[in-house]
Amino acid sequence: MPDPVPDKASGHDRATRRLWPALALPGTFWLIALFVVPFYAVMAVAFSGRINIFNEPIPAWSPLEWESSTFTTVITDSFTPSGAYHEVWVRTAIYSFWALVICVAIGYPVAYYTARLAGKRRGLILALILAPWWINYITRMLAWVNLLQDDGYVNKALGWFGIPPHSWLSGSSFTVVWALAYGYLPYFIIPLFASLDRIDQRLLEASRDLGVGSARTFMHVTLPLSRMGLITALVITALPMAGDYYTNTIVSGSPNTSMVGNQIELFLLEGPQKNIGAGLVLLLSLVLMFFMFYYLILTQRASREASR
Amino acid sequence: MSFDPNDPALRHRRPRPQLARRDVLRGGLWLAVGVGAAPLLAACGNDQASGQSASGGAPYQLARPDKPVKLAIKDSNPPIDNGLDPEEGGTFNILNYADYMAPGVMKQFGKAHNVSVEVTPYNNYDEMLAKIRQPGQSFDLVFPGPSVLSKMAYADLIQPLNHSYVPHLANVWPEYQNPWYDQGARYTVPYTIYGTGVMYRADRVKSVPEVGYDLLWDKQYAGKVYVLDDRQEAIAMSLLRNKITDDINTSNADDVKRATDSLIELISLVNVKTDINAYSEVPEGTATVHQCWSGDVIAGQYYLPKKETPEVLGYWRPAETDYVVGSDNIAIPKSAKKPVLAHMLINDLLDNQIGLKNFGWNGYQPPLTKLSAKFLTDQGYIPKNLANSVVVPSDFDKGHTFYEVSPSTESLWQTNWARFKAGA
Repeated sequence: MPDPVPDKASGHDRATRRLWPALALPGTFWLIALFVVPFYAVMAVAFSGRINIFNEPIPAWSPLEWESSTFTTVITDSFTPSGAYHEVWVRTAIYSFWALVICVAIGYPVAYYTARLAGKRRGLILALILAPWWINYITRMLAWVNLLQDDGYVNKALGWFGIPPHSWLSGSSFTVVWALAYGYLPYFIIPLFASLDRIDQRLLEASRDLGVGSARTFMHVTLPLSRMGLITALVITALPMAGDYYTNTIVSGSPNTSMVGNQIELFLLEGPQKNIGAGLVLLLSLVLMFFMFYYLILTQRASREASR
Repeated sequence: MSFDPNDPALRHRRPRPQLARRDVLRGGLWLAVGVGAAPLLAACGNDQASGQSASGGAPYQLARPDKPVKLAIKDSNPPIDNGLDPEEGGTFNILNYADYMAPGVMKQFGKAHNVSVEVTPYNNYDEMLAKIRQPGQSFDLVFPGPSVLSKMAYADLIQPLNHSYVPHLANVWPEYQNPWYDQGARYTVPYTIYGTGVMYRADRVKSVPEVGYDLLWDKQYAGKVYVLDDRQEAIAMSLLRNKITDDINTSNADDVKRATDSLIELISLVNVKTDINAYSEVPEGTATVHQCWSGDVIAGQYYLPKKETPEVLGYWRPAETDYVVGSDNIAIPKSAKKPVLAHMLINDLLDNQIGLKNFGWNGYQPPLTKLSAKFLTDQGYIPKNLANSVVVPSDFDKGHTFYEVSPSTESLWQTNWARFKAGA
């Protein structure tokens, strides 16, 4: 990273010193109001066993009042194989994993093509990738219901090739995984595209000048250089996927495909046990935070290496 | 009757709170880490509403069919005086399930009294209670079922009715003029009644077993079997089908567990699905067998694909001694700014003709004596083959109904329901 040129004018210097923290204020406020406070509220509910007569949790605002029994049960029931929530956690992990594999398989080539080979059409392709964002996520999923239903267009199209119709919507994991991948693919492609786009063209030319074929150039130059972009894309896609609960509700609706988000919804929407729902939210956040921290460590390491 | 059930304008309507999509959107708020705080923070201000630990009993008497409750009328919360003039102008605010009252009925009422009628929707009673309790918020009409009524009267969320404004209460079934959850109809009048049964595609189901619930446990309909996405209805069905107990409000952990285990069998047996859209899933053929509310059956005829007639639909209902029946009521919130008008709308809804118009739109039957099964089939509201979906007074005398249970029982049912919903 190039060092900023130090400005010797002291008046300007003082102003700058005040300016930078001031610029951070909106962000800090945002973070406190929309992350720290809500997260603490979730904890206050998760660690409280009390409700009022209207089934509303009475949050334990003071940590001195915290009861950990519900949260401990949530953890035990999540991580022991016979636990009530074990199955949904495993399913969430498996679905997210396969959906991410599909995202890589489809998204990487698309991002690569857009960044390196699309030329004049790049703007058009980017617009097409972003186009689904103009339509609400749920609307897009509902559209798939029409396409995938028994007498829908997908089965009709299969019929042209003599393939017998399949019940896509009768609670199949396959459908849910593909729906997840479809829903979050744009989130995957965009950050990856940005990173591939930044790779210095000259490095690739240098590689070829040194007699390395295009496949090996990809393996030894492009892929390592896009590694951080790939990880960013994976993280950005995995976070919402792991908490998703409406995709499978719409394209399956079967208990066989329910994920941890569905259990959270069940406990939070109504009933006297919102502390269980809050406990599951907390646990999900902790699991995701673990991956986030790993990601942050990787980015730090990468930026340190880059500045070396 | 000036009202024509074949009017095409009535065809495109949705009967019951059709949650799925809205639920999804609303739940999204909870999940999004940032926005999740809103309801939690809203809950902070409520601590003063007497903390009740999950195991504690309620500070008011729980109503039971065999232990009817006469809700107290307090000096601090009296009914309105006789002979007041109706309020005029402004908005009339209704707190209700979405799409649970005919827009035509509301429009007509608004025109007659020079008010604009607005509906604030909710998806479940927890949400309704949260909305009605918002400080500074005022609603003129609300639709609480028996399971939340006592607490609402206890907490002064609703006001007693002045019967001098509601002469049409005489049109209602006698048992609903004096129901067990509100003796003397002090705070409520009934709105709709319904039973829970099984709706099926008669063209695919060759024979209906004696216990129609067995249709759901039948492998040949695999992939097209649905139970109601409602823990009480689903577990109660299993309790009754498996003859575990007649008490559909049971607090016996073992009974609830056994009933849930039987529901869990449905997952591997038929890959069961859950939703509350029987009124469209069965006519459209997505479902072959769907546990449903009787109102869904009546509404179902409007969701049939072109060229299909109501004969492709069928409804199985249990004998009256095994029938699970329920009702929704109308009440006036304490915060009402137009209580006289609210009484007048209540009276309108109990009018035979307006009640019929509302029924023609939402498919849910009001307990008006005149609207018998024979009358409704003769008038063309219900096809003859689905006439059994009309609930009759004896169903309510002999059937089962859900009532308010303690939070610990509610938790027991919810935890088991979560076990089923988690799949296996």
